[in-house]
Amino acid sequence: MPSDAPIRSSFLRPALVIGLFLLALQLIAIIFAPWIAPFSPIEANPIDSLQTPNAIHWLGTDELGMDIFSRIVFATRVNLLIGFAAVAISLAIGVPIGVLVGYYRGFTGALVMRFFDFIQSFPVFVLGMALVAVLGQEIWSVVIVLCMLFVPMFSRIVRAEVLSLRERPFIAAARCSGAGDFAIMFRHILPNAMTPVIVQISVSIGMAILLTAGLSFIGAGVRLPAPEWGLMVSSGAQQMILGVWWVALFPGLAIVFSVLSFALLSDEAKRLLDTSRPGVRR
Amino acid sequence: MSQSSEAPIVELDGLSVGFGDKTVIDGVDLQLRPREIFGVVGETGAGKSVLARAIIGLLPTGGRVLAGQVRYRGQPVSTMGPEDARAFRGGKVALIGTNAKALLDPVARVGDQIARVVRSHERLDKRAATARAVALMREIGINDPERRARAYPHELSGGMAQRIVIAMALAGNPDVLLADDATLGLDATVQAQVLESLVERSRERGLSVLLVTHDLGIVRHYCDRVAVMKAGRLVEVGDVEPFLAAPANPYSRELLDAARARPTLQRPLAEDDRPPLVSVRDLTMHFAVPGSVEPIRAVDGVSFSIAAGETLALVGESGSGKTTAGQCLMRLLDNTDGRIIFNGRDITDLRENAFRPLRRNMQMVFQEPYVALNPRWRVRDLLAEPMALIEPMTSAERARRVAELLEAVHLPTALAEARPHELTAGEQKRVGVARALATKPSFIVFDEPTTALDIRVRAQIIDLIRGLQSQMNLAALFITHDLNSVRSLAHRVAVMHLGKIVEQGSTEAIFERAEHPYTRKLLAAELPVDCEPLPPGDIAA
Repeated sequence: MPSDAPIRSSFLRPALVIGLFLLALQLIAIIFAPWIAPFSPIEANPIDSLQTPNAIHWLGTDELGMDIFSRIVFATRVNLLIGFAAVAISLAIGVPIGVLVGYYRGFTGALVMRFFDFIQSFPVFVLGMALVAVLGQEIWSVVIVLCMLFVPMFSRIVRAEVLSLRERPFIAAARCSGAGDFAIMFRHILPNAMTPVIVQISVSIGMAILLTAGLSFIGAGVRLPAPEWGLMVSSGAQQMILGVWWVALFPGLAIVFSVLSFALLSDEAKRLLDTSRPGVRR
Repeated sequence: MSQSSEAPIVELDGLSVGFGDKTVIDGVDLQLRPREIFGVVGETGAGKSVLARAIIGLLPTGGRVLAGQVRYRGQPVSTMGPEDARAFRGGKVALIGTNAKALLDPVARVGDQIARVVRSHERLDKRAATARAVALMREIGINDPERRARAYPHELSGGMAQRIVIAMALAGNPDVLLADDATLGLDATVQAQVLESLVERSRERGLSVLLVTHDLGIVRHYCDRVAVMKAGRLVEVGDVEPFLAAPANPYSRELLDAARARPTLQRPLAEDDRPPLVSVRDLTMHFAVPGSVEPIRAVDGVSFSIAAGETLALVGESGSGKTTAGQCLMRLLDNTDGRIIFNGRDITDLRENAFRPLRRNMQMVFQEPYVALNPRWRVRDLLAEPMALIEPMTSAERARRVAELLEAVHLPTALAEARPHELTAGEQKRVGVARALATKPSFIVFDEPTTALDIRVRAQIIDLIRGLQSQMNLAALFITHDLNSVRSLAHRVAVMHLGKIVEQGSTEAIFERAEHPYTRKLLAAELPVDCEPLPPGDIAA
């Protein structure tokens, strides 16, 4: 029977192209920051403070006279590092927990889920401020805050998939073929449970960037003079009413484009994974 | 029977339909005459469903008419405006699809759903439309229609849901019905009843029916004329009687031969004193129902035994508990009560770790071939997995064994690299069989190995299993509702009904001298391609 199979000719849609282009820009910024940036990102130069965008300082300078363009380029390293690290660590912890909890269920599983409920019921920023107060204003404190948010999220997604996958006939068939619990969980179930996780990875990196910026903005993130987009917006926000618009605007745009790129890529990942997902043949 | 003198109601004139660059229907000419029941048979992928959809002007997404046209009473369907086309669909021509449960709106009462159809074709107030819906339900043979009209689809059985869909099709007073495999997936007894009422209503109302099916038994029993479809073309069109007597086309002959095959019954094995290989005593499996004290008694005190090399068929309708019994045997379910003895050893209370070494001796072929294969694995890995149960082997040995297995089930070795979704249903089934054979077991549970397969593929699978039985001296529990395959494979038959075995005996005894009324009903529901004409109504009894 000819199915209404989606036509895959639209592989390179504009959304995918834009997403990949923005991601490439960020990766270039991360790798080549010292060569791209004309000035040091952390060197204060009070004589040049609050210059409007000009030929030397393309995006102007802030109140300490630091070049905004250079700081934005270097901040890509900080912001994306935090995002990638938080998501990678959360995956490594959250996915196995989700598989185990979904496969065995039982009392321990219920306990783990209730613990996740408990963590997730805290407002992120309150949790962030509390943790940073304890751990100090370091990059790694921000990563830990984000992990506390993402581990339960990944666990829940994986658990939901595992709950339905474990009842599928191919799992019973695998058991008949002598597969033990471990093989069933990690060789049979996990590969089939990864599609929604992969989609979520990209969303989460975007979320991480936004939250990092947010935490820094309220002073619960990294400390000056470290280049970080949220921190830069924060320092510029006070001068906004004085007509100094460039200090907050440009790092703000960096956040927007960065989050946008990951949101687009996540949508596209969902689309591409869906069409290439094997369908039932009739 | 043919009314060739009258003008056709629906006429297809060189119709071709394509998806992308693939032609699915290739120049089909067909006339549907008034008051005739016209069967369209063919295998999966022949384009039968697309044909039905093309007639009603509802091609699946991506499909388009490449050439030719469909005419209804002389008017080309493609020239109708949107409003006319809407009145035409349901009002003149109605489509009845497969899998009725999926066709019904899960959140609306079925009576309201029928009433909706009535009101979209006629100006009626709600009350009158509901009354009409109830009348239609009564007409199509639903008991207590007033009460049933208030039911939601999930509260109905498959047969009942199919009747609702038929009632919806009749609601717009069409004069042509297109039934697209309308009884696929229903039990034989239910299928016969539903078809019987569908055909009876159509004859009474003088409708023309296009009956799309892959079951020549249905054609033989209900149709006036028949068309055989293959790869988008009609290879033969004719009256049913002469067609069955002497099909002109070689492909039609092949289909008929496959459907007719009535193999000699398997003889019971000679009695001997050896203990049986598998012995089940009072097997019981109850499922607790949340919020109810009464459990579901899926399997309720079942006893049977199977000798080495013997095949026992467990037959019964869906819901009779036969699959559950098979799963208990494989220790996929923990039975509530009863003992299972395998090879002299009581395996009932063995924990999974203790039981795993025994799995190499007992294997299972799962019902639905596609869902029982991990979609992300290659055939090679699927076949190699059970080999870990035998002994450690090098990857070269494993590759050789995989090739041997593929050969044993007559599959090309190139398929080792394929993934399940790249295989046809028949190939998937063979991979399932090969997987069960990987450990050279002495006992296999076959769960519905022939359902949902085309006639020819079914015959091939039966041949395959039959060959394996004799080569490997395999004992088997053969769970099925396909009586024809029971004839060719089973030494003995146990008939299961509502969790209990109602009758058990040699295949010959069951088929020739069935004693229990339920067994007789089950046998009568079969629609053979050849037999003495039955008086109408007898089948549905």
